[in-house]
Amino acid sequence: MKSLFLFPYWGRYLGYFLVVVHIPIVLYKKQLMGMHGDSMADGIFNGRHLFFMSTTLLMAIGLFIAAFSKEKIEDEQIVRLRLDSLQWSVYVNFLFLIVSLIFSTDTEHILFLNLLVPLVFFIIRFRWKIFQNNRLIKE
Amino acid sequence: MKNNIRVERAIKNITQADLAQAIGVSRQTINTIESNRYVPSTVLALKIARVFGKPVEEIFTLDEED
Repeated sequence: MKSLFLFPYWGRYLGYFLVVVHIPIVLYKKQLMGMHGDSMADGIFNGRHLFFMSTTLLMAIGLFIAAFSKEKIEDEQIVRLRLDSLQWSVYVNFLFLIVSLIFSTDTEHILFLNLLVPLVFFIIRFRWKIFQNNRLIKE
Repeated sequence: MKNNIRVERAIKNITQADLAQAIGVSRQTINTIESNRYVPSTVLALKIARVFGKPVEEIFTLDEED
């Protein structure tokens, strides 16, 4: 079965690595900001924006590669699971989006949530289904 | 859709892994087909039938719900 537009198998580990790497950087920066206060100038391409951009890109690209890399054996059942999980993640994302639009005006965080939810939910659901299939085969 | 892959495998004395390898899918896929949790595509059904040397209708049959 030929699947188009997927990263190679090792992409999953590269993706997880990028996501894991970005967490301590963000936490460290938060601590620094806590010391100096959050008073850096607003605007584009200043220190704060560049830092936010690079860490967010690190996480987004990591999640993206991890979500869309090939399985060891790519067959039609995996393709089906992937599509099902994508559908679920879009549903969940829109639920979050609608609820947050109604109950919040914090657009920056709504945007951030929208960046995270579809891919994170997709990865969790896809992995969970594969785990279930693997468990059933052992019984 | 029902299938009797498990029976056919027993007759031919091959494992899920053997069948999976013969048609180029994962063992999990064979398992999900056997337990009626996944309906294979026509291509896959034809490949499975070819392994057992029988027509597709003898391996896969329609359910009342289909």
